[in-house]
Amino acid sequence: MDTLQTFASAKLAAGEVKIVIGYQAGSDATRARPAFVSDTAEAASLIYDDRCRQNLAVYLLKPEVRAAGRAAVVCGPATLRTLLQYAAENRIAADAVVAIAVDADGTVTELADLEAVETHVARQPRGLTPEQQAEIDRIDALPLGERWQWWSRELGRCFKCYACRAACPLCYCSRCITDVNQPQWIPVAADPLGNLEWNVVRAMHLAGRCVDCGSCAEACPQGIRIDLLNRVLAREAVVDFGVAAGVSRRKDYALASFKPDDKEEFIR
Amino acid sequence: MSRIGVFICHCGENIGATVDTAAVAAASADLPGVVHSVDYKYMCSDPGQNLIKDAIREKKLSGVVVAACSPRMHEPTFRRACQEVGLNPYLCEMANLREHCSWVHEQGEATTEKAADLVRVMVEKVKRNRPLYPINVPITKTALVLGGGIAGIQAALDIAGAGHRVILVEREASIGGHMAQLSETFPTLDCSQCILTPRMVEVAQHPNITLYTYSELERVEGFIGNFRAVIRKKARSVDESACTGCGACIQKCPTKKIPSEFNADLGPRTAIYVPFPQAVPNKPVIDRDHCTYYRTGKCKVCEKFCPANAIRFDQEDLLVEVEVGAIVVTTGYQVAGAAEFGEYGYGEYPDVITGLQFERLASASGPTQGVIRRPSDGKVPETVVFIACAGSRDAARGRDYCSKICCMYTAKHAMLYRHKVHEGNAYVFYMDIRAGGKMYEEFVRRAIEQDRVRYVRGRVSRIFERDGKLVVKGTDTLLAGRPVEIQADLVVLATAMIPQPDAETFAQKLKISYDEDRFLSEAHPKLRPVEMNTAGIYVAGACQAPKDIPETVAQASGAAAKVSGLFSKDELSREPVVAVVNRCAPPDFSTCVGCFLCESACPYQAIEHEEIRARDGSAIKTVAKVNQGVCQGCGTCVALCRSKSIDLQGFTNEQVFSEIVIL
Repeated sequence: MDTLQTFASAKLAAGEVKIVIGYQAGSDATRARPAFVSDTAEAASLIYDDRCRQNLAVYLLKPEVRAAGRAAVVCGPATLRTLLQYAAENRIAADAVVAIAVDADGTVTELADLEAVETHVARQPRGLTPEQQAEIDRIDALPLGERWQWWSRELGRCFKCYACRAACPLCYCSRCITDVNQPQWIPVAADPLGNLEWNVVRAMHLAGRCVDCGSCAEACPQGIRIDLLNRVLAREAVVDFGVAAGVSRRKDYALASFKPDDKEEFIR
Repeated sequence: MSRIGVFICHCGENIGATVDTAAVAAASADLPGVVHSVDYKYMCSDPGQNLIKDAIREKKLSGVVVAACSPRMHEPTFRRACQEVGLNPYLCEMANLREHCSWVHEQGEATTEKAADLVRVMVEKVKRNRPLYPINVPITKTALVLGGGIAGIQAALDIAGAGHRVILVEREASIGGHMAQLSETFPTLDCSQCILTPRMVEVAQHPNITLYTYSELERVEGFIGNFRAVIRKKARSVDESACTGCGACIQKCPTKKIPSEFNADLGPRTAIYVPFPQAVPNKPVIDRDHCTYYRTGKCKVCEKFCPANAIRFDQEDLLVEVEVGAIVVTTGYQVAGAAEFGEYGYGEYPDVITGLQFERLASASGPTQGVIRRPSDGKVPETVVFIACAGSRDAARGRDYCSKICCMYTAKHAMLYRHKVHEGNAYVFYMDIRAGGKMYEEFVRRAIEQDRVRYVRGRVSRIFERDGKLVVKGTDTLLAGRPVEIQADLVVLATAMIPQPDAETFAQKLKISYDEDRFLSEAHPKLRPVEMNTAGIYVAGACQAPKDIPETVAQASGAAAKVSGLFSKDELSREPVVAVVNRCAPPDFSTCVGCFLCESACPYQAIEHEEIRARDGSAIKTVAKVNQGVCQGCGTCVALCRSKSIDLQGFTNEQVFSEIVIL
């Protein structure tokens, strides 16, 4: 922990970054909250433990943070993947961010540019937790009709507070499709069908882009496991197109790339 | 408020007999926004068009729906009629009551109801139509012709003759294609090379034609009028500008036993070679797979004897980028391979040969100087059996089509053989004789009646060797299936014409369509026979379907006429059905966030980056911008854009959505 604090403080003191985005203790012992540290004295309040699950990359795109200058971000593995996906989607410049990678064992590593992030991410194990895998397997095993019913019921509980959208680092559109009213793609009223539509459309928008940070499910006040939808779509993107999000700065989007060796046998 | 006019066409009986057009007109009259609704027998006729024009003037229509045939047929007609009286043509839409309704349903209430629905949908769309204006794009007046056989030669000469520049690309070392390999041509029996080589020379000498031989298309991008192509000029290992074509290298090359492709493997060639004496250009290439130097690092005999110092062992492939306005595809064909004809012993018995090999035997420039000698022992055959439809019209081989030329060239082969070997016996096994064409039937009759070629209607079941003879077993189906056995010295298979082995990947490279047999698909089998569905790309010759020389030449000239027509204008006027990225008030300027995922989705590379700047020049944001000249209006970006910041003009999300919702 000391390392993280001293590191942040040193970076700020040297003027290498203007702001450090990290975590500090929240309103009770079970919570952490995001911290935006621009003063060396405040660096001592930074923490990193099991409570720190939110994906902080989401703040990098906020105008206030952008205006502050070059930023350092405290990154778990998913946040690092987000940085790479941001680069692929033209969100951040290669040297705009310093990543402070904190590994599972607490080791703090400075990754000064995205190339270093890419190398670091390639060394990290990636996969689902046993709990996530078990839940996906359970839903996968349901017959098609039942599975649809289960999701309809589950997603129908949504009341469109859009906390998932706010927490998701890849929901960065300045005008979300739910805010488009000509045509009105998704009904605004919180009725079950419209709620389902919102969640399905959002899942499709993240297919091939989601970096599996799980912030959406963490943020959901209804406890809906929307992360599972995204994780399954991420798996499909890997299986069908060999493309995983958040592994490279290069743009390689499963839904938008065509390769001449795509033989399209399935439409013959 | 919309003032829409609806015009229901009977299309004679086509729609009128199935749909109650008067009822549709009456129902449409009640739709909100519709101020005028009539039906009429032929809307496309002059009086029909006048109904529309008068209504636009008198009722001050803001939009028009013509419910008639497919917009592919008459949309231009009706849009022009609207334009003539001052209504923007893109405020006129068609509801397809014919192909989408009357032709596919029985007469009845439900059919009429569906017709009314189709009109209702289109009225909803037209309410949201905006005036659009054609887009003008410049045309690069250079044509790229891919393939230097007779089709490519003819197309190149015609386009060049019309005063336009042509780039002709040929994959082999010389132009000429298969026609250069043929002996005589039916039905006039004039020597193939004698009529072809002047054209080849003309290509080489024409100031408007740039010739790339031993070259292939690497990739192509762009669109009609503005293609960018990259040509791979394969390393010849010979400096073409220094080489005088003296041939010393060929004489001295120690590797002499490579089967000659030009002679259909019936004769040898050297490792450094020109395919045939009249080759254009007459500059050799080194076949690196067979050359001793490339295989062992030692030899260089050609370099030693070259008086012009033109040998370049270290030459590398050269990529040449060219800009062209039109592409003519003339990549030709191949003949079906040996592996297919096990029952005929092809590949097993040297004296079972293909039609193309017989051409070389009969040709004065061939391995036997035009004397018909069989490959095994060089003997002049006393009996020759010709087998038509070898691999064609054969569902068992997955090839249902007729290769079209075999009936004629088999008659020619039999005739040539009888002319050269007066005592010889010629038999032809055939399924039918297809001799449609000017002087074709007469030609076949001549073979039968004057040259006494014996035609046997039936298929050959088996060929085997016995006592130095090839025993051909078949049936004569005209004589009630009587078995026939012929002791032959030479058997010639009229093997099927098949597409080039790489036809599929080639088509994908050009983004053009092909059929199940891998021949290229023209845009319309009757009305657009030389155009591909991809605008600006044309087709001629056997790459599209089997055809003979006269047809190929006619089609090549047709394609050249199309290209010349395209090049007759300086600018191309295009439909404004293109994608646009929205713009809105500050501080957003556009709802586009600039993720540029659309960039990789666009098949036409039409997405560009545009920086939005403040008055002081500082960058505010970078957003996508669609190059309207390049965009083909496919809508892929529209579907992909998460924030719906791109829309397709004429088919906006709002329009399509409202069409669906109204149902």
